[in-house]
Amino acid sequence: MLKEILRFELAYRKKRSATYIYFAILFLMSFFAVTSKYIVIGGVAGGQIVENSPYNLSFMTVIMTFAMTFIVSAIMGVPVLRDFDHKTDSMLFTTPVSKFAYLFGRFFGSFVVTVLVFSAVWVAFMLGFAVGKYLPWEPSWAAKEMLPFNFWHYIQPFLTLGITNLFIQAALYFAAGTLSRQTIVIYVQGIVLLVLYQIADTVLEDIDNKTLAAMLDPFGFRAFQIYTEYWSPAQKNSQLVPLEGVLLWNRLLWLGLAGLILAGTYFGFSFSVVRKGWRKAKAAVAEKVTFKPENVRIPTVRQVLNAGSYLTMLWQQAKFYFKITTRDVPFIGIVAVGLINLIVSSFYFGEMYGTGSYPITANVLGLLDEFDLFFLIIVIFYSGELIWRERSVNMNLIMDALPVPDWVNLVAKFIGLVMVYVLLLLVLIVMGMGVQAAHGYFNFEIPLYVKSLFTSTLFFLVAYTLLAFFIQVMANDKFIGYGLMFVFFIVTFTIGAMGVSHPMFMFNSGNLGDYSDMNRYGHFVARFSWLKFYWFTFVCILFSLSVVFAVRGSEAVMRTRLRLGRLRLTRPLVTFALTTIIAFTGTGFYVYYNTNQLNKYRTQEEGEQWAVDYEKTLKKFNHLPQPKIVESNLRVELYPDERDFTAEGYFWLKNKTEQPLADVHIQEDILNDVQTEYLRFGNGDAQVKQRWEKYGYTIYTLAQPLAPGDSVKMDFKVNFTTRGFTAGGGNTSIVQNGTFFNNTYFPSIGYAEAAELGDDDLRRKYKLPEKERMMEQTDPRGLSQSLFGDDADYIRFQMIIGTSPDQIAIAPGYLQKEWEEKGRKYYHYQMDIPMVNFYSIVSARYEVKRDQWKSADGQVVNLEIYYNKGHEYNLEQMMTSAKKSLGYFSANFSPYQFRQLRIMEFPRYASFAQSFANTVPFSEGIGFIQKVSNPEKDLDMPYYVTAHEIGHQWWGHQVPEASVKGNAMLSETQAQYSALMVMKHSFTPELMQKFLKYEVDKYLQGRAMERKKEQPLVLVEGQGYIHYNKGSVIMYALQDYIGEANVNTALRNFLADWQYPGPDSKPGRYPTSRDLLGYFRAETPDSLQYLIDDWFEHITLYENKTTEATYVKQSDTKYEVTLKFSSEKYRADSAGNDTPQKLAEWIDVGVYGKDKADKDSLLYLQKHKITKQENVIKVSVPKVPTKAGIDPLNKLIDRHPDDNTKTVSQAETTS
Amino acid sequence: MQLVIENLNKTYSNGVQALKNISLTIDQGMFGLLGPNGAGKSSLMRTIATLQEPDSGSIQLGTINVLTQKDEVRKALGYLPQEFGVYPKVDAETLLSHLAVLKGITDKKERNETVKALLQKTNLYEARKKNLGGYSGGMKQRFGIAQALLANPKLIIVDEPTAGLDPAERNRFLNLLSEIGENTIVILSTHIVDDVKELCSDMAIINKGQVLYKGSPTQALAQIRGRVWEIRVPKAEVEVLRAQFNIISEKLVGGTPVLHVLADTEPGEGFVAVDGDLEDVYFSHIFGTAPVEA
Repeated sequence: MLKEILRFELAYRKKRSATYIYFAILFLMSFFAVTSKYIVIGGVAGGQIVENSPYNLSFMTVIMTFAMTFIVSAIMGVPVLRDFDHKTDSMLFTTPVSKFAYLFGRFFGSFVVTVLVFSAVWVAFMLGFAVGKYLPWEPSWAAKEMLPFNFWHYIQPFLTLGITNLFIQAALYFAAGTLSRQTIVIYVQGIVLLVLYQIADTVLEDIDNKTLAAMLDPFGFRAFQIYTEYWSPAQKNSQLVPLEGVLLWNRLLWLGLAGLILAGTYFGFSFSVVRKGWRKAKAAVAEKVTFKPENVRIPTVRQVLNAGSYLTMLWQQAKFYFKITTRDVPFIGIVAVGLINLIVSSFYFGEMYGTGSYPITANVLGLLDEFDLFFLIIVIFYSGELIWRERSVNMNLIMDALPVPDWVNLVAKFIGLVMVYVLLLLVLIVMGMGVQAAHGYFNFEIPLYVKSLFTSTLFFLVAYTLLAFFIQVMANDKFIGYGLMFVFFIVTFTIGAMGVSHPMFMFNSGNLGDYSDMNRYGHFVARFSWLKFYWFTFVCILFSLSVVFAVRGSEAVMRTRLRLGRLRLTRPLVTFALTTIIAFTGTGFYVYYNTNQLNKYRTQEEGEQWAVDYEKTLKKFNHLPQPKIVESNLRVELYPDERDFTAEGYFWLKNKTEQPLADVHIQEDILNDVQTEYLRFGNGDAQVKQRWEKYGYTIYTLAQPLAPGDSVKMDFKVNFTTRGFTAGGGNTSIVQNGTFFNNTYFPSIGYAEAAELGDDDLRRKYKLPEKERMMEQTDPRGLSQSLFGDDADYIRFQMIIGTSPDQIAIAPGYLQKEWEEKGRKYYHYQMDIPMVNFYSIVSARYEVKRDQWKSADGQVVNLEIYYNKGHEYNLEQMMTSAKKSLGYFSANFSPYQFRQLRIMEFPRYASFAQSFANTVPFSEGIGFIQKVSNPEKDLDMPYYVTAHEIGHQWWGHQVPEASVKGNAMLSETQAQYSALMVMKHSFTPELMQKFLKYEVDKYLQGRAMERKKEQPLVLVEGQGYIHYNKGSVIMYALQDYIGEANVNTALRNFLADWQYPGPDSKPGRYPTSRDLLGYFRAETPDSLQYLIDDWFEHITLYENKTTEATYVKQSDTKYEVTLKFSSEKYRADSAGNDTPQKLAEWIDVGVYGKDKADKDSLLYLQKHKITKQENVIKVSVPKVPTKAGIDPLNKLIDRHPDDNTKTVSQAETTS
Repeated sequence: MQLVIENLNKTYSNGVQALKNISLTIDQGMFGLLGPNGAGKSSLMRTIATLQEPDSGSIQLGTINVLTQKDEVRKALGYLPQEFGVYPKVDAETLLSHLAVLKGITDKKERNETVKALLQKTNLYEARKKNLGGYSGGMKQRFGIAQALLANPKLIIVDEPTAGLDPAERNRFLNLLSEIGENTIVILSTHIVDDVKELCSDMAIINKGQVLYKGSPTQALAQIRGRVWEIRVPKAEVEVLRAQFNIISEKLVGGTPVLHVLADTEPGEGFVAVDGDLEDVYFSHIFGTAPVEA
């Protein structure tokens, strides 16, 4: 019987065209994903990771199971539901089919179909990679060496991740459809799945939650990612992702759940037509009948049909739709799920290294954005639902015969939904304030909530609703309508990926941008308003069409609708349509005028092409001998409200070469559209030799060649003018409140290599040769220039900045004078010692906190923090950090070179802090609003960031390094080390361990995603995961192994020899990482010299694991612990191929016991020499041991840090 | 006021010709539209109720062109479709009141009164607070009638209204219609002959999209007077008679087949002349004189 039902199900699906359409959609998506440049699934391949690597195939397979949810729900949700919908249930249930055969026949029949449909994915993958090279278009991997074909690479993920996921989804959808007998419950089910995935993502903000996150996600995607997170590119290219560890547990958990759900379905399903209601019907209250129907007279009523009554009808209908929507159980379900998701996220938002943020409204608004997905689901679903409302309950003929004008129906549905949205937005506001209150934050900015949610969010809802209405009306089939909406998103996404990204073509474009407490919504408002108006008129046109074509009556053939539509073209409707068309066209022209006439518009490809042309045309001038800037003296007039500035003044250029220089090459900042008003040399007698307008590149021939050692004055004026609004978000550096830009806006000298395309895949696309990221350490050109570029070594600096009277403007140097003139405020800064050619211009409405730091030998440094009012939270901590940092660095490295240190807050459009001479711009988004709720458990991020940036006053400003490989090991890694030392002397060891745990994690994740090649620390080429994260771990371990004092001695000696280096200095060049390494070696005992090689010169990974830990009590104060552990050491190459290394290591062995506060504390910690893989060590401790292991503090880089220690158990006594 | 239908034609996209050159003139009062399932009754009624477009022909309600001035028609219309549903989670009073607003009864007091009266009239008053999802088929049908009577319509179109009603309900409903029918055009479609017999002053029989007969029930009866013959035969002989005679109806009385034959003279032995009733008229048009399709 089961077989019969199964066969029937297969036969049914075989006849349905939908089955083939599903297959075709999946096939095409997958096929184009592997063969075209534009559709990308997952996006993990590229660079080193080959597109047909087993890892990428697995990744894409999992992602496709997400896309598959729609199809699974459509196939698996309905097999039983169908019988009820078609009312064949009574017929079927009276046949002698058993419940078991019926249910499982239907289930497995449909499941087989699901699996067959999904097989489109691997078929397409195989085919795509096989024929990709012969297609008329070029796959992104066309020029790349691919892995040879391996059938198992395609099938294994299909089995382990594909089919399991399908089964889990199938069970859930089948259960939902069968038990509820309602289509919508199936969808709500799908949403729950996605939310679980989302929540798994959220809890990952805390790295201690990895296992939980891996388990939570029903798709197994998180488990997959966590299982493979540290896989090197080489592993990804060669290894199949096995079903083990968290991945296996996740599969078992969810398959088990799916099995339970199926069993539950079997027992819960009642094999009868009539179901018992969930609740008992309310007993009807019998009323005494006091009339006879025959005697009742129907009163005569006035029928009012005019504009007024139409409005009444409209309102009546709108209220009605509002009510039926908000009382719909699935609606409540979707909203509840969405809110639960928000609540879960609210525990984690704004996290950095596990430390959260203050729930300022800007942050909470970001949190509430997570609800947008649910909004979108509600919009799409209920737009369809309402358009089909009357027809789905079969009341349409009654409703359609009522004297209600055509437009009232649609408008009422629209208003009803808008009322639903308004309600939800209010709920969100309450929710947001609830989250704030729960965090103990009571500064409720209700107007800000309203301003954001009732403009941007509400408009997004309105636009999509009207679009969905239009599609539903035209499609005239609810499910085709939903399908078309889905297609719409895919098409929008694809044309976006193909480079059509102009806001006039991206539906509902015009982001309001991030809210910044400093700059509020700033200049985004104008662009937002115009684009929203543009889209609003567009959806109004769609709406007019919807009114014309809406089905009324029993016929839905297009011919009839066209004929009827003509009758509906009433004067008001035509007026409305014409007005919106005119407004749409007008706004369109205005938007175009702004984005493409007033401003330059470049698609991404045009931008890339520009970089290619620039390189091809001007590369020949790279490294051309040029004079260097030795002085900068500018007057910058800032107009924050207009977002304009002008900069006028001069540079002094000096010929530091051995030969006379006739030509000077000037590069303007063309990408920021900075206009040069004039540029003169000396007396203005230089000639323009050649100019490339397109690249803002000009060669001037001086009147007389500049003799070696001579200087020439370069006078110039540049203007930055903001005109209208741009297609993109626009410039976020020069803003109304919180301007922060640097000297890259001013003319620079010679070819700008940074403008070239860097990514190898991209370079291949434009037939450019692959490119090294940095120069070799032996390259004299690299050694003669610092990380700040080849325009200058050190400069004399002064600057006058004019700004609005309510703002404070800041540049490096010391304030000389401050005055008002013509209603503007002026500040004159001058630096009294040479500084690097890198300076910031900052201006905002600031509050100032001042303090002082005095060094042991009496040096006084003024400390100032310029902050936005309301962001006082962490100022004290930042001040303390500044003092501690200046104290530690000047005592251990060298004296601080300035008399002042300023930290200035800038808007959250970027999240970093940056060190300039005696000034540190510091983003609003990090530090200022970070919340250290529990100083024992939370890392104080503002403290850390401040220390790091102050460290740069030494590492970068006292010692700018050569612009060659390994450079960031001198600046970033040492700033990181400096910060770690300040932290070490303020934080508990547990917090330090926590910080380092994040650093190891970030390093290991970073190397897993390396696109080109992983470098050892000493040759790092701009790879943040190496110079920050790995750098931290290595430097912390180094000071642990050779001693903090010795590391500091090395750094002090290095500074003594290399302070203010460069061609003019004693060494005649800038230092490299290997220079510093020499100083480290000098302080390292012979027995540990191997560490310098392992950690700096090579990529070394350890695998330490405790396998057994037991103890024997020998007396009350003596416990002997026996530890069995294994140690391995690997050396990785640039792709991540590991080679085992011989062991001769000193590694910590540690034993923990309970201290008085019942916390784990180390009873024993000693380095032992480890020379073999398997080891047994006995140590004695005075208290009962609890935990013990090898490298318990995770000082060494280990991909499995958690298995280093083990709980110690009492040994079986044999005596 | 008069409803004039001229040369109405309609072919659906699946090729079915639902209306073939239909012309009818309907006066105030009750008009019965008789025909078997699938005859085109609903198509015709939906077309009059502005819900469907004919391919050709015209419909005129007084001075209103029904096909183009739909809004005008809807003002005066009360329509009960053959099959309809309701919002299950809304109670009768609320939904009726809601529909009343949409019919243009904007005055709240008037609306409440009229809703109350209609609920009483259709005997739903006690169940007015009950969700419509819990209504029986008959109750739902009565609700449909109540809504069709909102705002004193001048043109009432009820499509198979008595289907699903028990005899008592059916009677009450027919009475209700007859009360209203005096100053109103009421078009009642049915395949139950008795509905028409009892109520209608005028009627039409349609089948396969064509009008087979129009006129008053009385005239119709006159047409067949003396031409209906009845015979009781054993089951085995039915086949033979079928081949031989123009049989307009067959039914079983006490287990024995009773056949009616239409003939101007006595068809043969065993036949007894009977007074034809409207049912015979109906069947005679459907099966008797109507040309058999090739």
